[in-house]
Amino acid sequence: MSENIKTKVAELLSSGQIKGFLGLRSNEGHIGPYLFTNEAELDSLVVGDWKNRGDSRYPLNKCLINIACKYPEDTFGVLVRGCDERGLKALYTWNQLNPNKVVAVGIACPQELADACECLKPYPDECVDDEKAKACEQKAVSSIDALAIADRFALWIREFTKCVKCYGCRDVCPMCFCKECSVGSDDLIHTGQLPPEMPIFHLTRAVHMIGRCIDCGLCNEACPADIPLRTLYKKVADIIDKEFQYRPGYTDAKSPLNVL
Amino acid sequence: MTNSIDELENTDCIFVIGSNTTSSHPIIATRIFRAKQKGAKIIVADPRKIQLGMLADVEVQQNLGTDVALLNGIMHVIMDRGWHKQEFIDAHTEGFDAVKEVLKNYPPDKVSEITGVSADDIVKIAEYYATSEASSIVYCMGITQHTTGVDNVKSLANLAMMTGQIGRENTGVNPLRGQNNVQGACDMGGLPGVYTGYQAVTVPEVQKKFEAAWGASLSNKVGLTIPEMMSGVMSGSVKALYILGENPMVSDPDTHHVEKALKAAELVIVQDIFRTPTAELAHVVLPGVSFAEKDGTFSNTERRVLKVRQAVAPMGDARHDWEIIQDISTRFGYAMHYDSPEAIMKEISSVTPSYGGITYARLEGDGLQWPCPNAEHSGTKFLHKGGAFTRGKGMFFPIEYKAPAEVVDEEYPLWLTTGRVFAHYHTGTMTRRAEALNCEIPEAILEVNPADAGKLGIRTGDWVYLTTRRGKIAVKAQLTDWIKESIVFMPFHFVEANANVLTNTALDPICKIPELKVCAVKLEKVQ
Repeated sequence: MSENIKTKVAELLSSGQIKGFLGLRSNEGHIGPYLFTNEAELDSLVVGDWKNRGDSRYPLNKCLINIACKYPEDTFGVLVRGCDERGLKALYTWNQLNPNKVVAVGIACPQELADACECLKPYPDECVDDEKAKACEQKAVSSIDALAIADRFALWIREFTKCVKCYGCRDVCPMCFCKECSVGSDDLIHTGQLPPEMPIFHLTRAVHMIGRCIDCGLCNEACPADIPLRTLYKKVADIIDKEFQYRPGYTDAKSPLNVL
Repeated sequence: MTNSIDELENTDCIFVIGSNTTSSHPIIATRIFRAKQKGAKIIVADPRKIQLGMLADVEVQQNLGTDVALLNGIMHVIMDRGWHKQEFIDAHTEGFDAVKEVLKNYPPDKVSEITGVSADDIVKIAEYYATSEASSIVYCMGITQHTTGVDNVKSLANLAMMTGQIGRENTGVNPLRGQNNVQGACDMGGLPGVYTGYQAVTVPEVQKKFEAAWGASLSNKVGLTIPEMMSGVMSGSVKALYILGENPMVSDPDTHHVEKALKAAELVIVQDIFRTPTAELAHVVLPGVSFAEKDGTFSNTERRVLKVRQAVAPMGDARHDWEIIQDISTRFGYAMHYDSPEAIMKEISSVTPSYGGITYARLEGDGLQWPCPNAEHSGTKFLHKGGAFTRGKGMFFPIEYKAPAEVVDEEYPLWLTTGRVFAHYHTGTMTRRAEALNCEIPEAILEVNPADAGKLGIRTGDWVYLTTRRGKIAVKAQLTDWIKESIVFMPFHFVEANANVLTNTALDPICKIPELKVCAVKLEKVQ
């Protein structure tokens, strides 16, 4: 897996197509994002614990926004899985990245990770190798949908009760790029409370995921209280898909709510 | 902690007392949530309503400073119903008969009167804790910061031993340590009476060992605690204070007294990463380094020694703390010449049995939990395995309930308790400089029960005066029924509305911890 990526990235760097490649590297036993700017560094490029959710997944697109802001004239490569590629597409529609300045190098996720994520498209359009996992059923959403409404509400309140307001869900989210954030604004939701105002804190964030959430699940993995945020946002995406036939990251079109 | 943090997830019952875990130890709260998810019983006892209580199977709000009575009441019920583990008591402990006698004085009805906790809840706590297969206790400053702090901890130990809820996986007694390295500071002998690894200065063999290791003659006298140092300055027996990474002008009780002492000292040296209110009073300020600027180790609450690696160079004139200490020692005539934190760790493991097997090479990855006596030892997940206690047999102490040092009266009719909020850490030296955290909670807020506020015409947002025998401050009030009638609560992170101007310096007679959690206070509306 990482050998194919290294070959591809080496090509891109040596031909001058990209100024740098944003991927992951291993440093003193820790895996983290790194901008590779020459071929010699590629030895330390890794894909981390590729088969599982966990510590080696990072919002590389979010890092790329910062890099692109600083070097607007340059083109950068970035490592993408299926969800990351959806993220890129959505970020293009929100004018947060310029598609002409980004080269995606794709890897497909293995079936076990696709299953754990219940991913609808666990591979990018182009991958460095061919094996692609199958799309998955949305069991987490349907199991909650199957509950009576009072039980469903009770379940979510129970989950929200655990929130320690670390803002990890927002801070890790590749689609959270606003300069001012509604969930941190005292005018909308009281700051300084634990748990944060229920259910408005989490519902505000869920509504703001409309036209944005590309179902990468990083929020779920970052949450220290194990709140199933991904399931909540999957449901929001389903509603928008049903009502507006729009799912962010699967199209180049802007969100239908952009016009509001 | 006698347990590892992960073990809490697999416990059948967790008894949380005097810990606002979601605010102060959120990552440990995660383990409690997971235990709950798996069906564990959660018991929460705290004078305030807390977030964890919302998910608890039993939530009680005991009156301030009544923990011994509450715990004796729980143990009374356990005895009464025969839920104690006589086999464990016989095999692994001593002194239980004296405890049995004392417990007779604490029937649920009487305890209910003292603590304000219903007899039914006392029975329920006793049942859940004693009869679950594996129960674990989690406590924090709500237990320790009392004139009966040692009594409170001993009572928890009594409870764990009489029910055999210690010495097996997922059972134990777990004080939560606050700072990332407060456990490490204590392990390194940052206490008045011990060398590294809790080796007492009063033991002649220990003294000899360190004299040989260091090539110096050493004192066998126990040193001073912080409150004793402050009064020592006032009486003239202490001349100089060297304060490292500590901010007593905000964290210690009776700030006016602390200020007088700092001003009276002939020399005050403060080593810190920011100019704190304490540094303002120093004759010499030495800039130390933050976590990101240094190599070394932190020892966390589960006794795990972890490596920290330097990410950025020290800022400005700042120097590594160990280098500063080394230079000062050398200039005082005792030359130190370590060349790295690793060299210091080599010495630590050579003189500290519980760190004996700890080397930098072995700390790569997940680190090691002490006791780790030798290079082959893989570290210790939980303490007192199979009922083998450090002193041999576990010692029971009969403990009678004592009221707090200061109680309410006509002049000071309300109780004041202090604590923390989730957005800030301790004296706010770091967190109040972080914009995101300061936006979340920018100022001190006094929590007042609506009934008490109503009597004084106080509404949320009003400024109020709080007065105790030590001092007076102004603070904004917030009405909430999360605090019981006749108690007010405020956090101590905020120097401009400094709760510790008010708090009591009365000390626990054994460990000298001040009674920061209880004092008597007068509340008035600012006109």
